[in-house]
Amino acid sequence: MRFDVRRVAFGLGVVIVVCIALVALLAPWITPQDPFVQNLEARMIPPIWMDGGVAGHWLGSDQLGRDYLSRLIYGARISMLIGTLVVICSGAIGITLGVIGGFFGGRVDAVVMFIITCRLSIPLILVALTVVSFVGSSLAVVVFTLGLLLWERFAVVARTTTMQVRTLDYISAAWAAGCSLPHILVREVLPNIVHHLIVVATLEMALAILLEAALSFLGLGVPPPLPSWGLMIAEAKDYMYFSPWVILVPGVALFVLVLGINLLGDGLRDRLGAARDA
Amino acid sequence: MHDAPALLDVEGLRVRFNPKIEAIRGVSLRVERGQTHCVVGESGCGKSVSALAVMGLLARGAKRHAAHMRFDGQDILGLSERDLQKLRGDRMAMIFQEPMTSLNPAYTVGSQMAEVLVRHRRVSKQQGLDRAAELLAKVGITAPGMRLAQYPHQLSGGLRQRVMIAMALMCDPELLIADEPTTALDVTVQAQILRLLRDLQQELGLAILLITHDLGVVARIAHKVSVMYAGEVVESASATDLFANPRHPYTRGLLACVPVPGTIKRGEPLGSIPGTVPRIADGFVGCGFRDRCVHAMPACAISVPSRDDGAGHRYLCHLQ
Amino acid sequence: MSIAIEVRNATRAFRQSTGVFSTDRTIRAVDGVSFAVETGSCLGIVGESGCGKSTLARLILGLLPVSSGEILVEGQRLADMNRRERARLIQPVFQDPFSSLNPRRRIRDIVAMPLQAQGIAARDQASRVEEMLIRVGLPGSIADRLPAQLSGGQRQRVAIARALVLRPRIVVCDEPTSALDVSVQAQILNLLDELRRDLGLTYIFISHNLAVVEHISDRVAVMYLGRMVEQASTDDLFAAPSHPYTKALLASVLTPEPGLGIPDVGLGDLYPDPANVPPGCRFHPRCPVAEARCAIEVPLPRDLNSHQIECLLAG
Repeated sequence: MRFDVRRVAFGLGVVIVVCIALVALLAPWITPQDPFVQNLEARMIPPIWMDGGVAGHWLGSDQLGRDYLSRLIYGARISMLIGTLVVICSGAIGITLGVIGGFFGGRVDAVVMFIITCRLSIPLILVALTVVSFVGSSLAVVVFTLGLLLWERFAVVARTTTMQVRTLDYISAAWAAGCSLPHILVREVLPNIVHHLIVVATLEMALAILLEAALSFLGLGVPPPLPSWGLMIAEAKDYMYFSPWVILVPGVALFVLVLGINLLGDGLRDRLGAARDA
Repeated sequence: MHDAPALLDVEGLRVRFNPKIEAIRGVSLRVERGQTHCVVGESGCGKSVSALAVMGLLARGAKRHAAHMRFDGQDILGLSERDLQKLRGDRMAMIFQEPMTSLNPAYTVGSQMAEVLVRHRRVSKQQGLDRAAELLAKVGITAPGMRLAQYPHQLSGGLRQRVMIAMALMCDPELLIADEPTTALDVTVQAQILRLLRDLQQELGLAILLITHDLGVVARIAHKVSVMYAGEVVESASATDLFANPRHPYTRGLLACVPVPGTIKRGEPLGSIPGTVPRIADGFVGCGFRDRCVHAMPACAISVPSRDDGAGHRYLCHLQ
Repeated sequence: MSIAIEVRNATRAFRQSTGVFSTDRTIRAVDGVSFAVETGSCLGIVGESGCGKSTLARLILGLLPVSSGEILVEGQRLADMNRRERARLIQPVFQDPFSSLNPRRRIRDIVAMPLQAQGIAARDQASRVEEMLIRVGLPGSIADRLPAQLSGGQRQRVAIARALVLRPRIVVCDEPTSALDVSVQAQILNLLDELRRDLGLTYIFISHNLAVVEHISDRVAVMYLGRMVEQASTDDLFAAPSHPYTKALLASVLTPEPGLGIPDVGLGDLYPDPANVPPGCRFHPRCPVAEARCAIEVPLPRDLNSHQIECLLAG
């Protein structure tokens, strides 16, 4: 069969994520204007294709007259940065716990399971809100709070896949060859579970981006004037009845990015799973 | 000797899974009533695929062709899925290597066995259970009443295989297709299961098509043997004839590979077949074994004659 | 002859939980096993599933500690060795060549792993890996491939190369040919036999296939439910099996000889369960010649015509 829906979806995910990642990386060179410069004479300009659109402000401007396209591009930076950092942070915690629990089993595993259960009993949004409102909002605080909260899926997946791998004969062969424990965990176990973890990483990245947007929307995420998509939506909510595009533009961007990451994750799961069985 | 029609008569069976490679390249099998026909070969030779093709159980996407395929004189090649289902489990039944995968873990042994009879014979559940208990006793299971109420995971491998056999016998099949029925079992249990199959055959007049890789099993239970290699039957004969007088170099090589206590001195190497099975792509002509054969000659790359010694011993080889 | 490995009364117990409210059961997978293997010889260990032969292999390899008893390798206690010393003396070859090689590593790295664990310089590793691959009959071009690109027989050769690259004294082969096709099995058996003679190795060869064990071993031990019920030289054991279980095992070997029919092993359908070891002689519920006292009295190991057996009746 030539046409395969899953292949198309995966391709779409790759294109979306690569495009947004490139835009985020190249932001300083491709933004038409400085995203922080206010121009009170050019406030609430609609996008170029609507009545009153102005060349130079392709997506119009916001309530302070900042170029909306430039803010959107810089917002992609924030989203990608937070997504990546949160995944690194939560991945490190979750994979360590999961691999240790799954590999040693017994009491060690019982402790790991208890920690995972505790984490699952924590109301995620409430704790994030409380922490940020106590410590104060900054990029670092958001990354660490989410990073410390979003590791449980990593732990669960790493644990079960490690349990499957540890009984295989190549692990026994490595022990018998005199390999050290760190060697076995890093060189023998990890490469054989990493394809499952990549899928989790995409899911967690999408979730982290959405949570950052939610926190920023509530005023507890990235502090203004940094251009986060969540913050843009928050700032736009007062104007949405008269200028719906101010909320649509960052909203659609957020939707497309999260969709792209999820399609990429689904595609990777199909592909890596198949590669392993071949 | 071909007077009475065989119970199962397959001629020129071909199966392909993907457009380029044919897994089965013209297999012919005749299984006579009350006899055991063994198909023997190494992994990937197509022996299991042949059995599945006969049962109409190939995976979707597989293409099956044959000159003809008859069961009790009736053509089964053109049967609808519905009619095939009626035949399967009723007049022809199948047992597999790993009974655990073919028993449903969520139902008791009794209800699964009764279900077969209820489906094919429209009897009551109780009648089904009675028949199940009777058959469990017949396959040598002590306390069949207790076993009926048990779940598959509560049984050992040997018991599960006995249950599978009993289940296959629920509707008094005429043909039993057994795909490596004893490979997953311990040697002592293997002997018991094979004895059971032989006794049931004598008692019920069952025809058995037995797929195996084990020449020891073949020698002890088969009436007729077909040796498969790379999707073809390279030699077929009666069991006594095949082991006494193997003609095809592959059959001879295979026999030399099997260690037999007391025949080869320790320290002396076993016979072995060099090389590996080739990938047979479309357009392949000649003998599939020629790259591994010590007798290979230029003619082997062009064609393979089918030889018949007149007494039903057939083989594909240039050697006389 | 010197003794390469001696196992003294080794026992390994596992705890099996049977449910939330019941107490755990103890399963003695290996229960007081003793034997010694002479340097350069091959001890075959046969038995059916659940007899504890694979657990015994793991004990000898040091992958599991013994619950009691001890294992001496060249006079040194296995328990006192560190992992590197142990690796230099004993190496395994496992049954399934599909799970015994890490699918994500190249053949070169798989074979080099024991050298790396000993801290041998990368330059020396490469030459020894290459030499070893040739020694087991693999082309050098295979070194950069992944296990998935190899056939079952080639994979088993890689596993043998990995086991021998450190030049160990003892190789524990746990069903090394059971997952292979008949023609490949013969190749691997021939290779193992040749390597043993050329390199002066000592083998412990575990298998359920008596014909294979007969071909490769000098001495054979028969295991049943965690005990060694009979030990003898291969010729003695196959010529005159003494224990009823050994007799049944030998009877059930199906050689490719038509006309012999299917043997009646006479063991009934009571299959052994390691979690539920019968009192007295463990084999008595299946034994065709058992007497009343077999259910009460535990048979102790004794010598009988150069066999060591555990049976009250034989002799």
